Amino acid sequence: MLTAFADPVFDSQRTFRELLQAMARPAVPRRLPVVPPSPAAVAPEAMAILLTLCDAATSIWLQRPDAEAVDHLRFHTGLRLADQPQQADFALIDDPASMPALACFAHGDPRYPDRSASLIVQVNGFRTDGGAHFAGPGIRDAERLSVEGLPSDFWQQRAALSTQFPLGLDLYFVAAQQVVAMPRTTRLLEA
Amino acid sequence: MTPRYNFAFLDEDTKRMLRRALLKAVAIPGYQVPFGSREMPLPYGWGTGGIQVTAALLGPDDVLKVIDQGADDTTNAVNIRRFFSRVAGVATTEHTADATLIQTRHRIPETSLREDQILIFQVPEPEPLRTLEPREAETRTLHALADYGLMHVTLYEDIAQYGHIATSYDYPVLVDGRFLTSPSPIPKFDNPKLDRSPALMLFGAGREKRLYAIPPYTRVESLAFDDHPFEIQRWEHQCELCGSGDSYLDEVVVDDRGTRMFVCSDTDYCSGRRVEAQA
Repeated sequence: MLTAFADPVFDSQRTFRELLQAMARPAVPRRLPVVPPSPAAVAPEAMAILLTLCDAATSIWLQRPDAEAVDHLRFHTGLRLADQPQQADFALIDDPASMPALACFAHGDPRYPDRSASLIVQVNGFRTDGGAHFAGPGIRDAERLSVEGLPSDFWQQRAALSTQFPLGLDLYFVAAQQVVAMPRTTRLLEA
Repeated sequence: MTPRYNFAFLDEDTKRMLRRALLKAVAIPGYQVPFGSREMPLPYGWGTGGIQVTAALLGPDDVLKVIDQGADDTTNAVNIRRFFSRVAGVATTEHTADATLIQTRHRIPETSLREDQILIFQVPEPEPLRTLEPREAETRTLHALADYGLMHVTLYEDIAQYGHIATSYDYPVLVDGRFLTSPSPIPKFDNPKLDRSPALMLFGAGREKRLYAIPPYTRVESLAFDDHPFEIQRWEHQCELCGSGDSYLDEVVVDDRGTRMFVCSDTDYCSGRRVEAQA
């Protein structure tokens, strides 16, 4: 059995502050301050987010419910496993190329749009010197970002969801000790 | 620091619940996220919502500033600052520029905030429609449908009765063109500072068990009409201590014959200007 955060109180506090700034300033990669030990099926960056935000009150859907990862998460956080993506507060996507459609996850209730899923997507990497332009709350003018390893129709699927705002999904992309958050309000600008 | 408590008073489960709610609040600007408000060692109405948000954010490297109506030295501000230095051992400051976290009751500092600062508002009533519609189920529906006619009618009634919009504080705003939001009872003088602020702004209402957020660089419009545009308060006076002509002024009675003076509500801004003038 692997350990979790070496210092649970302060490691999760520092991770949360980065996540909050990441969500407040979308499409900008931010360095995660602590990457904990993690079973092979879960990226250490994704594990840092899960240890920071999950406990017995949350459920997670794992794209690949690897036994070692499930044991590790249950032991350290007490979270519940969801059978269906629709039921989960969090979803961990380790192979974006074969991920289920974004429409499969919980988008919230019109009166309670916060009751929607947060997706943690393990990608291959980020580039900020190229890629699409993004705008929306938290972005002063526009940010450029390319996320490597997403299915080709990912952004079309996401754009289709945006018509349902305030319902929607919030995304955390992770790679190389970095996190990029993309709340439902961030728009991909057509070139 | 008092060692009997967990860091920053709240237990880790409560902080995680608050942190999940805060992330959703930032993702849906202006929308009120319900949260499980805890009993705090001071009563509702004394900033328990702001305190819980601050406790969920606070780390050992933070520098905390707390203001009450702009002042660092009033009872509420002093108590909250002392509370966090006892239960978290964090550094505190009265200087806006030195703070990483600023908890505020009913003002936004005059000094412009930066991207690395977070402003946390204490909110008594998070629902801007509550005085017009008492049922939570109904106000939730109005927000879901973005049906804000009630608020426009209220502002119109002000114009019909007084000739202008008489609301001078807690002046309703539309965040990113979607959610009608209470800016907390800040004077409408401060509303323009909400618009495209470089700093993240978080709002906590302890008694009402709601929190919400305005992300940085987000459009925040104060409601108005084409022929009655939004206007902020103006004074014929200048601050009698620092001479400022563009800050929010408090009118203070200084003797028993009704003599009055006008002074800056933001004590740090005012004393900073006086130090500068002497130098």
